Amino acid sequence: MIPKRTGNALRLALLVALPALASAGWKGISAGEVELSATADASEVALDGTLTLRIAVTYASKADTGNLEVPTFADFDVVSRSQSEQVTFTLSNSTPSFRRTVITSLALTPRRAGDLTIEPVKLEFRGQRFQTEPIQVRVVPAGQALRRRPPGPDRLADDRLGESLDPFADLHPGQRDLILRAMVDNERPFVGQQVTYSLYLLARTNVSSIEKLQIPRLDGFWSEDVEAPQQLVPEQRILDGVPYTAYLLRRRALFPLRPGKAAIEPAEVQVLTGFGMLFSRESSRRSSQALQLEVQPLPPGKPAGFDFGNVGQWTLSASAEPSNAPVGQPITFRMVASGRGNVRDLRLPRLPVLSGVRAYDATVSDKETIERGQINGTRTVEQLLVPERTGAVEIPSLAMDIFDPVQKQFRTVRTDPIALRVDAGPVGQPAAEPISQNLLAKGGIRPIRLHLGSVQRATPPWAQPWFWPALGLPPFGLALLLGIARLRRMLQVDPGRKRMELARSAAAKRLRRARALLQRGESVAFYAEIVRAVTGYLADKQGIAAAGLTRDELVSALLARGQPEEPVRRLVRILDDCDRARFAPGSGESPAREAMLGRTDQVLGELDRGTR
Amino acid sequence: MILLLAALLAAAEPAGAQLFADANAAYLSGDVSRATAAYEALVSEGVASTELETNLGAAYLRQGKRGLAVLHFERALFLQPGDDDASADLVEVRRGNVDRLEGDADEAGAETVARLLTPLPGTAAAAILAVLWPAAWVLFGLRLLRGGPRWAVVAAAGCFGGALLFALLTWGAAAGRDMAMRRGVVVAQAVPAREGPAEKSLSRFEVHEGTTVSVDDEEAGFRRVKLANGLTGWVPAGTVELVVPPGWAGRPVLTGSARAVQP
Repeated sequence: MIPKRTGNALRLALLVALPALASAGWKGISAGEVELSATADASEVALDGTLTLRIAVTYASKADTGNLEVPTFADFDVVSRSQSEQVTFTLSNSTPSFRRTVITSLALTPRRAGDLTIEPVKLEFRGQRFQTEPIQVRVVPAGQALRRRPPGPDRLADDRLGESLDPFADLHPGQRDLILRAMVDNERPFVGQQVTYSLYLLARTNVSSIEKLQIPRLDGFWSEDVEAPQQLVPEQRILDGVPYTAYLLRRRALFPLRPGKAAIEPAEVQVLTGFGMLFSRESSRRSSQALQLEVQPLPPGKPAGFDFGNVGQWTLSASAEPSNAPVGQPITFRMVASGRGNVRDLRLPRLPVLSGVRAYDATVSDKETIERGQINGTRTVEQLLVPERTGAVEIPSLAMDIFDPVQKQFRTVRTDPIALRVDAGPVGQPAAEPISQNLLAKGGIRPIRLHLGSVQRATPPWAQPWFWPALGLPPFGLALLLGIARLRRMLQVDPGRKRMELARSAAAKRLRRARALLQRGESVAFYAEIVRAVTGYLADKQGIAAAGLTRDELVSALLARGQPEEPVRRLVRILDDCDRARFAPGSGESPAREAMLGRTDQVLGELDRGTR
Repeated sequence: MILLLAALLAAAEPAGAQLFADANAAYLSGDVSRATAAYEALVSEGVASTELETNLGAAYLRQGKRGLAVLHFERALFLQPGDDDASADLVEVRRGNVDRLEGDADEAGAETVARLLTPLPGTAAAAILAVLWPAAWVLFGLRLLRGGPRWAVVAAAGCFGGALLFALLTWGAAAGRDMAMRRGVVVAQAVPAREGPAEKSLSRFEVHEGTTVSVDDEEAGFRRVKLANGLTGWVPAGTVELVVPPGWAGRPVLTGSARAVQP
């Protein structure tokens, strides 16, 4: 619950919206503990008109207050003066941050026409003096309309002063007495560029306290609280001629994460209105309007290797201490990136490998601050370097590509090269003690790899099911070939040899046929068949064509083939007997023919055995 | 031509290189959780890389997860057995292991043998064996069947000798791979090793994260592990991760396995 502030807060009389502050300019200084700024609500004013000078002093502590010196205004008259104070308490990176802002508003009327100057505002704080820059104002003759810049997307994109925009310029409340109004200062930011989201409560009735405030989910943004007021600080606003009291409920910095349309859902608030404990206290619930943002992608021309987190206005510096060191003594290298933007997403360059220097793991620390509604940050990278040899060592210039959303262009920021001198250590002095980073638990491991390789770790060939059977194929194939060759040899038949082998059986067959002829009584054919059996056998088995030979030549041929003489003689006798019986029919009785068959078979058998 | 070259270069860039670079940047900026998540995303996308496994091991180690660190260094060594960074990191991690094995002289040789055998060029040896072995038989067959020239006999003998040598190399690599396939790492902080695959079984000893074991058997949600000194026990399967995950080196992909990747 945010209680209403009832102390010495004076109502701040901001008469009109401040759309022209960018051209009128804010002039301020910042010294960490204190910020001073002076802004005018218009760069041009009529001689009979007024302009508002707003002086804001923000302190980072509760107690101290500086001495503010308002100028004497040689060209202006002060027609009214008011002062208010607002206190904010935020947690950033788990670090509490306190801010107290004292706002002094002066309504000024010009004394003459022409180009006039508002003198610098001065502040003395803790013995130091600060002052703003003078502000130039053009005063036109009385009755002329003021020239103000028209609002538009480009101007919205350029204006980075969240507080300077009027969130209620397009608001027409009608009869409503309580309005919750959400606004952003830039509806077309780049990816990674800060957008300030503000939530105001406008009331025509007295607001006692805020019972419940529901901030919408901010998907698609990285967000950070800029202002979360603990007390309700009223500001007077005139909307359509009706006075309203405006209360800032919350201000957040949003950093879009991706291009395209981004929606912010309505916020909700539960407000307790009325006076004191008894008078018409009432609880009311209000919702804000939804917001639509068109997040722009970064423009073309992105440098190679550009990191999309490096959006903002950054500077880069580097240092090394000490610059002279003996071998083995650590040197602290420090690289600092600071500026405006989302420091958490920043990618800093990496120190390259330095020959002769051992580098330990870097430690990174971030610090965020809020200045005039803008998130500023500092990233510090510290790395211990231990020189391992004497001589000169140079830490080269390190470069970081950034995109500056204000200038809408890519830039490269660089560190300066750093020269180091490494001397020989004193004799007997031990090298530096092992530092904690070298311990296992603290990362005593090797630096990580930066380039991704790929390995095709497929199943090795020997684990494939076909491998070992494939190795068995060659011997199996050879065995198969040998077997086939042997089989073919076995199956190959020489006709002559076959005839020779079958000669005896062919003769036997003919003898069986002769026996059949004998049984039928065909004696001539019987003897002719016996002769064919003998001559066929001699031709097939012995290779002798008996038909063309005399009996003596036949005998000689058979004897020359190693046949015993006795069977040869008996064979010749059988042939002679057959010839005689064929050509002298009727000779020979049936038993003699039977005997002829037996004799022939016997002689052929003996010749066959003799041949083997 | 330039466009073609650029296209070729882009095609040559390994898949996931941008995510890998983001993860490295997160690691170097100290955001180790983010780096680990990005590395794991690459692993789940099926990227098998020595560099990825080494970096993931380093990230886990910086998170204090020693078991997972050892696991990923082991995986890096499986992918690239001679990787110097992974070897050195593994030695560093093991210095801090809780488990100190006693009487490991007899059994520690197994890991040494595995470490020696795994780098053998098994694939190349198998390929050469697949060439020499048939060549030897062809030459021998020529001589035998066709009465080929005398040099065929000499060449066949040479091929047989070479085939024997490369068969030995292949066998060695296969043996090393078999050991690697059975290697596991304890990823739970501490886990009792039991006599049987059941919670009710008697616990014989306890193993701690980062200890490398040999997984001999698996049953009913338990794995039978063997330490380097021969101690054997059953531990819940989820407490021991296999160095060679499903999908690698022909290991079957298990349904529902978060690490089921196919390199």
